[in-house]
Amino acid sequence: MSTEAKKQIIDVGDGAAIPRKSDRGLFTAWRIAFFGAIGTIAYLVWSKPDPYLNIIKFVPDGIAVTFQVTLGAILLAIVIGLITGLGRISKNRFFNGVASLYVEVIRGIPLLVQIFYIYYALGTIVKVPAVLSAIIAMAVCYGAYMGEVVRAGIESIAKGQREAALSLGMNGRQTMIHVILPQAVKVILPPVGNEFIALLKDSSLVSIIAVADLLRRGREYASESFTYFETYTVIALIYLIITLFFSKIIGVMEERVSVNK
Amino acid sequence: MKALRTLTAVLALGLCFVSAAFAAPKAITVASDATWPPMEFVDANKKIVGFDIDFMTAVAKEAGLQVTFKNTAWDGIFAGVEAGQYDAIISSVTITPERQAKYDFTNPYVQIGQILVVPKAEKGSKIADLKGKKVGAQIGTTGAMEVKKVAGVELKTYDEVGLAFEDMAAGRIAGVVCDEPTAITYALQKKEYSSKFKIVGKSFTKEAYGIVVKKGNKDLVAQLNKGIAAVQKKKIDAQLKKKWQLK
Repeated sequence: MSTEAKKQIIDVGDGAAIPRKSDRGLFTAWRIAFFGAIGTIAYLVWSKPDPYLNIIKFVPDGIAVTFQVTLGAILLAIVIGLITGLGRISKNRFFNGVASLYVEVIRGIPLLVQIFYIYYALGTIVKVPAVLSAIIAMAVCYGAYMGEVVRAGIESIAKGQREAALSLGMNGRQTMIHVILPQAVKVILPPVGNEFIALLKDSSLVSIIAVADLLRRGREYASESFTYFETYTVIALIYLIITLFFSKIIGVMEERVSVNK
Repeated sequence: MKALRTLTAVLALGLCFVSAAFAAPKAITVASDATWPPMEFVDANKKIVGFDIDFMTAVAKEAGLQVTFKNTAWDGIFAGVEAGQYDAIISSVTITPERQAKYDFTNPYVQIGQILVVPKAEKGSKIADLKGKKVGAQIGTTGAMEVKKVAGVELKTYDEVGLAFEDMAAGRIAGVVCDEPTAITYALQKKEYSSKFKIVGKSFTKEAYGIVVKKGNKDLVAQLNKGIAAVQKKKIDAQLKKKWQLK
């Protein structure tokens, strides 16, 4: 296949991104939430440095760990999800069976239990550091959800696309990589973004295995200063800001790949 | 509308009866983080037991109170008493000036200290010897605060002290600091751990446990203090110490 033809196929549907209605105007919901949260923290720190400034000073390394766990887990989960998704639609019975079993088992066990299990049970065999086992546990869990998202995305692409590609002389692999997946990504991206946000928030569960993430740093501060309400207010606002930040990135990515809606 | 009014009246009447029934003796709910043997823990019958529980029951009896125990996670146990979810806490709570500024305490009822537990192969005998290593403690406990004071040692905090011992058994941390009675239970009396761990040195702090109540609840403090005094006079606490193998 010529590069020209390849390019054309990839570019199918590409056009100028059309802003969604909700993104128009000065006061969008996102801006109000994002700058509102930042403003609230700034106001609290300014009006009552003790305890709010002290809390802000105490948690940055926790934020770093939360980022580390979230980003590590999401990258790993996307890889696992892609493999699982392809496995779920595979005609190879073994590959399909393994992927399906993985999804069924993991989806049926609470994340907290999985984190606990991977850390303490596997810990007796191989000594994995806490942050790494947190990343693995989160990725294993979200990989299963991601697999279903990928499967649904691929299955949503009309059969005719595949038939057309095959009739152009592409083989199965080329069809998947150049025709099906690029289109599926557009379908997959919004739910993946959703999973990403959910994963970010669920990363707070890793504090059970003594990973010093944002929530645990907050709890450590609160339990020593007895300022529970103030600390959890700040922690909630920081989670909100991070989540909104990522949702913006995902929103931009979605617009980049979106077909005219 | 009329039906609603009737219903409200019936409910109000019912509430009066219920509160009247509970008027005497005064019923209080006491929170305890039952993960701290032998002071407070859950036994095979899913009942909260331990020295603190027996002690509190005896105190309540002497003070003319009816007591119900509530198993509560340590993290946030103080916030709960502040929010009025329960009336008091008996959970191996060390009386510290910081805590006294926020809550009211009864008179001390047990003297204890913090102590270090390490794996058998460890040579060090105090926290400072574990420089560059990780030492675990339960979040928000005086043990955690002691580890934090030592420069060069990384504190890892756990939701329950048992998780810290489990992590040490897996070889991930080099020591655990907790109250002496609990350390003895985990290091010397638990089958799975007694071959792996040892207690090093003597307890290095002097602390006393007190029962916590909401700031300003002077009546309850006075009532509980009366109970504690009676229990100590009758030497019930000495018997309980023997029963739960406290020093």
